[in-house]
Amino acid sequence: MSRPIRDHEILSAVFAKMDVVAMSVAVGSLCSLLFFLATAVLLMQTAPENYPVGEHLSDLSDYLPGYSVSWAGALIGACYGFLFGALAGFSAGVYWNLTHYFALGVMLISSAQLAD
Amino acid sequence: MKVMNHDVDRVNLKLLKTAIRFNARILGLTAGTLAAVVIYIATQASIVKWGDDSGGYLGLLAIFFPGYSVSSIGAWVGAFWAFIYFGTCSWLSYRVYGKVLGTRISALLLSPVSTANPVLKPSTLRLHGVSLGIAIGSIAGLCLFASTAWLVVRGTAGESVHAALFSNYIPGYSVSIMGGLWGAIELFGLVFLACLLLATVYNKVVKIRHKTS
Repeated sequence: MSRPIRDHEILSAVFAKMDVVAMSVAVGSLCSLLFFLATAVLLMQTAPENYPVGEHLSDLSDYLPGYSVSWAGALIGACYGFLFGALAGFSAGVYWNLTHYFALGVMLISSAQLAD
Repeated sequence: MKVMNHDVDRVNLKLLKTAIRFNARILGLTAGTLAAVVIYIATQASIVKWGDDSGGYLGLLAIFFPGYSVSSIGAWVGAFWAFIYFGTCSWLSYRVYGKVLGTRISALLLSPVSTANPVLKPSTLRLHGVSLGIAIGSIAGLCLFASTAWLVVRGTAGESVHAALFSNYIPGYSVSIMGGLWGAIELFGLVFLACLLLATVYNKVVKIRHKTS
C-alpha cells in the first residue's frame, strides 16, 4: 500500500520551478523536428512535373532567409525551428518561474498584512 | 474532483484542487501574454516590412479575431484576442492535465523527497507525457473542430483554401463538420505523440543536468 501524500508534497509540486535549459532544448528539438517533417511531407507527396510544391509554406522565406521547400531547405528550416522553439521554451520557462515568484510575493505580503 | 488513482482518501483534496487551479491560472497568464506579444510583434513586423501591402496571411486572423487588421491599432486588438484564446486554452489544458494526473502530481518532482521548504526552496518540475498529451491534444483537437465549424457556420467553408491545406498533414481533413471532426481526432493523436516526445526530452535533460550539479 502506498504511503499517503503529505501537504508539503503537493506544495512542492505546485511551486516546483521549471528547468529553463531543459525546456529550451525540449521545445527547440520538437519544433525542429516538426519543421523538418512539415517540409518533408510536402516533398514526399507525388505532384505533376513543374507543379509548384509547397507554394504557401515557401512564403516563410520572407521571414526565414534561406528556407525553401526542398531537402536542403528542410534542414535549414529545422535549424530555424530549433532556434525559435528554444527561444519560445526559454521565454515560457522564465516567465512561468517569474510568475510563480511574483504570485508568491503577493501571497506573502498579503499574509503578512493579515497577521498585522 | 475525481482523481485518477486510489490515494483519494489519503490526500488533502482541497489543497490539491487549489494547487491545480493556481497553476492553471499561472499557465493561462503565461501563455496568453506570450501569444499576445507574438501577435503584436508579427503584426508590427509585417507593417514595417511590407507597408501598405502587408497583411496577406496575417489578415486572415480577422476571421477569428473580430476587429483585427494588420495596422497599429489592429496589433493591439490581435494581442487582446491572442491573450484571450491562448490564455483560455492553456488554462483549460492545465485543468485537464491536473485532472488526469490527479494525486500523481507529487511524484513529478526531480527528487522523490520534497524539499523542507517547498515555497522558498522549490524542487525542479518534471513532466508527465501521457497526461500532457491528453490535455494539450484534446484542447488542440477541440480548437481545430471549433475553428472549422466556425468557417462552416459563417458560410465561407468553400473559400477557405488555406484551412483546406491542413489536409496535407492531416489526411482526410476538409473544411466541413465531418472533416473537422476527423481532423480533430487525428490532431489529437499527433499532438499526443509530440507531447510524449517533449516530456521525454525535457525529463532527460533535467536528469542529466541535475545529476552533474
